[in-house]
Amino acid sequence: MKGLLTTLRYTFMNLRGQILGWGLGVGLYGIMIVQMFETMAAQQGQLQKMIANYPKEFLAFFGGDANSIMTPSGYLHMYAFSMLPIIISIFSILVGSGMIVSDEERGRLDLIIAHPVGRSAFFFGRFLGVVAAILTMLLIGWIGFSLLLGKSSLGVNVGQMLVPFISLFVQILFYVAITLLLSVLLPSRTLAAVVGGVIVVSSYMISSLAFMDDILMTISKIMPYHYFQTVLEVNDLNLTWLFSLLGISILMVILAWLRFLRRDIRLSGEGSWKLRFSINPKRA
Amino acid sequence: MKTNKMTKPNPDLAIQAQGLTKSYGKIQALEGIDLEVKYGEIFGFLGPNGAGKTTTIRCLLDMIRPDGGIAYLLGINPQENPVKVQTMTGYLPGEMQFYDNLTAEGQLRFFSDMRNGRSDWSYVCNLADQLDLDLKQPIKNLSKGNKQKIGVIQALMHKPDLLLLDEPTSGLDPLMQQKVLVLLREFNRQGTTIFFSSHVMSEVENVAQRVAIIRAGKIIEIAETESLTHRTLNRFIVRFKQKIDISQISRLEGVSILSQNGSDQIKFQTTGDIQKVIQTLGTLPVQDLETEHPSLEEIFLTYYQ
Repeated sequence: MKGLLTTLRYTFMNLRGQILGWGLGVGLYGIMIVQMFETMAAQQGQLQKMIANYPKEFLAFFGGDANSIMTPSGYLHMYAFSMLPIIISIFSILVGSGMIVSDEERGRLDLIIAHPVGRSAFFFGRFLGVVAAILTMLLIGWIGFSLLLGKSSLGVNVGQMLVPFISLFVQILFYVAITLLLSVLLPSRTLAAVVGGVIVVSSYMISSLAFMDDILMTISKIMPYHYFQTVLEVNDLNLTWLFSLLGISILMVILAWLRFLRRDIRLSGEGSWKLRFSINPKRA
Repeated sequence: MKTNKMTKPNPDLAIQAQGLTKSYGKIQALEGIDLEVKYGEIFGFLGPNGAGKTTTIRCLLDMIRPDGGIAYLLGINPQENPVKVQTMTGYLPGEMQFYDNLTAEGQLRFFSDMRNGRSDWSYVCNLADQLDLDLKQPIKNLSKGNKQKIGVIQALMHKPDLLLLDEPTSGLDPLMQQKVLVLLREFNRQGTTIFFSSHVMSEVENVAQRVAIIRAGKIIEIAETESLTHRTLNRFIVRFKQKIDISQISRLEGVSILSQNGSDQIKFQTTGDIQKVIQTLGTLPVQDLETEHPSLEEIFLTYYQ
């Protein structure tokens, strides 16, 4: 247990720069978005006219439409929360793919794991450290979004502002989990990050354009972004979606843990593992 | 693991391995390693690059899982209870990387914390003093030798019962190499069993009580260091009173002629039965005879010729 806590503490401390950077970035963006609502509200008529002229594919990318743009949740979704999962996914992919494999590829894991921590305690210490980092980052972001709510005509209180952050947390956790799993299955961290990036981008694009096509709509249902919710009331949250995504994320973390327990630890300079199903024509 | 003939650990052995095999794809890294290291022993593990030294040590510490065979460290199977093994052992990898954003002190405190803070910090400072390591220096500014000192200190800082060291003096200057070897001897005097790999023969010869030689994943020799240097390879310089037929010596089993000065002086070495050489020389008109004890390095090379 002590090994797990030590690993958690060091993981969190190592991520402090990223926590501050991303947290302050999201927080400042929140301040700006809430402040901007007053300007938007003052020009509501013109804005709605302009938005109505936009191609619906364009609007779909920002998750908005002319009718919902001036509602609190519509405004926040279009100008902030539709893009936050994608923006923060960069952090998720880097942290998830590097959680174990970064130290391994740099030749540090060999010595760390030789200390009496145990692979399980090390793995979950790292994972919980990452979870703590995400929560802290989102807390800073939420504070930013909430800071000017009292002076805003948006009509959202700090408690309501917390609700989309719950769904955002689950989205981020999903991307961390999938890139973590990929990193222990694929030959290198880079490949895991690339595959993770493809999943994030395709998830966003397919889910955003799903309304245009039935096939896209069907495909979007297996995409994580499809289940992202910008709602301002807990009662409006689709808990089945939320807990399903959370459950899948936990399952992926468990699979990554089981794989980590069984695999050899690489040394720096050993290169990457070969894909088990790769075909080498010279050997065939 | 496929074969587990040894079911119980021997209480007299600090390291016990039987039939360890490991392959990486089609490359067979270990082909049935058998090792027995007694408590309180300094055991050298010799072999050229790629022979399987690091793979053996990493199998012993559960970094990598052998395909077959079984091992016990301090009476514990490292696959069943790696944490207990790691608590009682100190490990120095052959290749080390640290967190560049930390100082030497920060890195060592990290390792100490990973051992649940069991290390006595004043002792860590003492070790750093002995090895002339400035703990306040950022890792990124340290030379390879100074990074090696951090590795040595982290392996020793908790006063382990067993040390597994992969080329411990790598990257150190000769003076510092001596200091590390003195430290290891001091630890051994206090009861620590030391298993270390090297391809620096002189340090193995100076420090190790027994040595194993590994080649292509197989142990090809295990012997006491002293007996190995005396037993295996003998070198003679013989001057004769008159010219002789050198083939009488060169045809003996294990004899190779190193140099010849006319037909009345030869230098040769033998890896075979010394008795037969002496008997043959007894039949010849020997004027002068010198013998040389070759270094472990020279003996080591004979295994690879």
